[in-house]
Amino acid sequence: MVIARNENEQILIEPSINSVRISIKIKQADEIEQILVHKFTRFLTQRAEHFFILRRVPIQGYDISFLITNFHTEKMLKHKLVDFIIEFMEDVDREISEMKLFLNARARFVAEAYLTPFD
Amino acid sequence: MLQLQSDNLLIKKTLTELIESPTSVDRIVSDFDYTTYHLSTPENKTKLLLSIGTKSWKDLDKYDVVGKLNAIYGQFQTDTVEPGYNYSIYLDLEEIATKSQDEQFEIIESLSLLKRNALAAPFESALEQYEKLNAEYQETGIEPSSNNSSIIEINYRDEESIYIKSSFDRVTVIFSTIFKDETDKIFGKVFLQEFVDARKRAVQNAPQVLYSHKEPPLEIRDLIKFSPNEQKGYVTFVLFPRHLVPQKKYNTISHIQLFRNYFHYHIKCSKAYMHSRMRFRVNQYLKVLNRAKPENEETVERKTATGRRFLER
Amino acid sequence: MSNLTTPAVVMGIGTGLTKLGFAGNDAPSYVFPTAIASRAANSGKPAPPSKPSFLGGSSGNSGSSGHLQSKRGTEDLDFFIGDEALDAANGQAYSLSYPIKHGQIENWDHMERFWENSIFKYLRCEPEDHYFLLTEPPLNAPENRENTAEIMFESFNCAGLYIAVQAVLALAASWTSSKVTDRSLTGTVIDSGDGVTHVIPVAEGYVIGSAIKNIPIAGRDITLFIQSLLRDRGEADTSLRTAEKIKQEFCYVVPDIVKEFNKFDREPEKFAQYIVETTRSKKIVDVGYERFLAPEIFFNPEIASSDFLTPLPTVVDNVIQAAPIDVRKGLYKNIVLSGGSTMFKDFGRRLQRDIKGIVNDRIATSEQLSHGTKSSGVEVEVISHKKQRHAVWFGGSLLAQTSEFNSYCHTKQDYDEYGPSIVRNFSLFNVP
Repeated sequence: MVIARNENEQILIEPSINSVRISIKIKQADEIEQILVHKFTRFLTQRAEHFFILRRVPIQGYDISFLITNFHTEKMLKHKLVDFIIEFMEDVDREISEMKLFLNARARFVAEAYLTPFD
Repeated sequence: MLQLQSDNLLIKKTLTELIESPTSVDRIVSDFDYTTYHLSTPENKTKLLLSIGTKSWKDLDKYDVVGKLNAIYGQFQTDTVEPGYNYSIYLDLEEIATKSQDEQFEIIESLSLLKRNALAAPFESALEQYEKLNAEYQETGIEPSSNNSSIIEINYRDEESIYIKSSFDRVTVIFSTIFKDETDKIFGKVFLQEFVDARKRAVQNAPQVLYSHKEPPLEIRDLIKFSPNEQKGYVTFVLFPRHLVPQKKYNTISHIQLFRNYFHYHIKCSKAYMHSRMRFRVNQYLKVLNRAKPENEETVERKTATGRRFLER
Repeated sequence: MSNLTTPAVVMGIGTGLTKLGFAGNDAPSYVFPTAIASRAANSGKPAPPSKPSFLGGSSGNSGSSGHLQSKRGTEDLDFFIGDEALDAANGQAYSLSYPIKHGQIENWDHMERFWENSIFKYLRCEPEDHYFLLTEPPLNAPENRENTAEIMFESFNCAGLYIAVQAVLALAASWTSSKVTDRSLTGTVIDSGDGVTHVIPVAEGYVIGSAIKNIPIAGRDITLFIQSLLRDRGEADTSLRTAEKIKQEFCYVVPDIVKEFNKFDREPEKFAQYIVETTRSKKIVDVGYERFLAPEIFFNPEIASSDFLTPLPTVVDNVIQAAPIDVRKGLYKNIVLSGGSTMFKDFGRRLQRDIKGIVNDRIATSEQLSHGTKSSGVEVEVISHKKQRHAVWFGGSLLAQTSEFNSYCHTKQDYDEYGPSIVRNFSLFNVP
């Protein structure tokens, strides 16, 4: 099942007999967002063992994959897991755009700080 | 820390300590752009040899760097240059120790600027040329063609160089930059765009900054064997007469030298900041995820206030 | 990276002190507290600037006010480290924190910025041009190594990285001693700093984790002990500073404290005087028995502490006995001292004698029990050397100056290709 806002923002949900795999393609409007998403997902997957349901390698064409198996649902509350995925999705776009804003703001600040002493 | 300073903190610290209590040393100190200092006491512990070696020396040498350094450090001049290094200074620590606090401080200060002063040589010579051309223009009223002024090239890093060209109304400083890392490249672009825009927006009196990717700017196109390099970019600073007046010259030179280091320092700082943001975010996600875990403590055993247990029914 | 002639950077970051410097030097260039002072408002978590409101509207303003506004997004540049941090924390605006607890990095945000400042401000080097050698405590979690690599490579793009275990470097540092002939990486390291003393057995470059023991007696305890003795006598100045100075200047280890007591009574010139000079006054502090009593707490802990009573030589012996039997001889033969609190005169000699005593007793009993079989004997040797104080750093400097060092490092390219997990393994070095 694919849920897509547009070509660049998609979610793929693949149910199977004992697990559900959810893969997310995060919005990447330009190369800055691209690198930020890349950095962010890498940072997350680097810590995958803390995030029980996070896969180390996303499936092709997507940025990040979660795999919820029956073991997870047995041990954890199902609706809370769903909450997590939803919260993550809502959050990640905002985080990326905030990071981008930060980068621009920082760049501007740094540039001005460098050029001011010339005067 | 926002700005990088021109002086070398470690040289300062080491010299201050050595003047206070001389000991025999054999130390290496590093500075930006493949610059290495060597402090040693070959004869006895009060005679200190301070040598500097830097990658761009060959280019600096064309612009009389030795003469310029001798003018500054003349009192400590030595004829022999330590092998493996480019310029040496010989300090008699005992003699310096007899001087007043202020004098000592001044000496240390000026020695800690050794690298700055060495790299300043070509800039100074470019400025001299500018002053000459400018004077010519003032006199004759004809714009002297700047074509006959040669371009100074300083290969200060492995694949990066500084080019300086002076004409009668400006001095153009061009940095060629290269990014080894993909993230740096993109962060760098964002930063450079802001450098270009900064003048229009906030700091009107700053030098004009231009950035071009792959293609070298017109000024130096003849100089570079034209080989479009996907990785290379060129940052041009146009220094106007207002930056070149005698009272500002020194600062301008110190400041522009550190451009690359400053630029890369801040790219790295932003990445560090991104890391702390991501750490923060990861912790938040973990908190959300851990909510999904049933709270064991509570379900395993519930007691009443008096300590009695609930019974299963 | 064609001609890397730049010296490698050696960073030994400890709980209390950080040692920074360049390979090939005989001492670290900087030794300062591992402390960072950041803006009090957002200590700990960086508050993500939720609404960068300064983005709009500042375009029409003059440069300076635009500055002030955008300052808000730059708290992460506003901090101090080391001694400057201690100074800054005296004011209201900054709060001090120590990113390392018990040898392990606790606060990665602070650590990353600590490195940032160390590299660019203090060492003045472009990390892309230098190889780095970092030290880690024994039994450091591999995740910590990965996090370190993530910072060093991704934030700083350092050319290459080697992470070495402190104890192993301390062993390497002892090779400068004339007593060491075979330069093996097997030995017992006694590392005593300010907070805690570790006894770490190392076999062929690998730490025997199960046998490590920590002793809660170290430099600080000695200082406090001296202070309490001074207070008991009612000396003119009993500040911690004075006690520390006395520790550094006057203390030594004796073979037998009873004899030394008698000696002091017979020869009054053994008593020393320490003069505290301040701008206003001059105080004279008598230095008495603490000259030899203070370091004695390593050997007879009961004189100062009530909860830890095992003498250091016994601990060392226990550690070695807990190691696999085939390396024990090597461990006895090469007991290496490291850290400032092992600097007392004759510390090594006393330790050697005491350990030898324990070992000989054991041999004697076993010979007796086995009726006549002779033991070939066990050699016990404690190595003291000149670089003991910063032994770990110095060992790092020795290693990083060799021409082979770069080939032991993982480079930025390796990291980009294989990811952070490569730093879980570093090949062992051997210095020719």
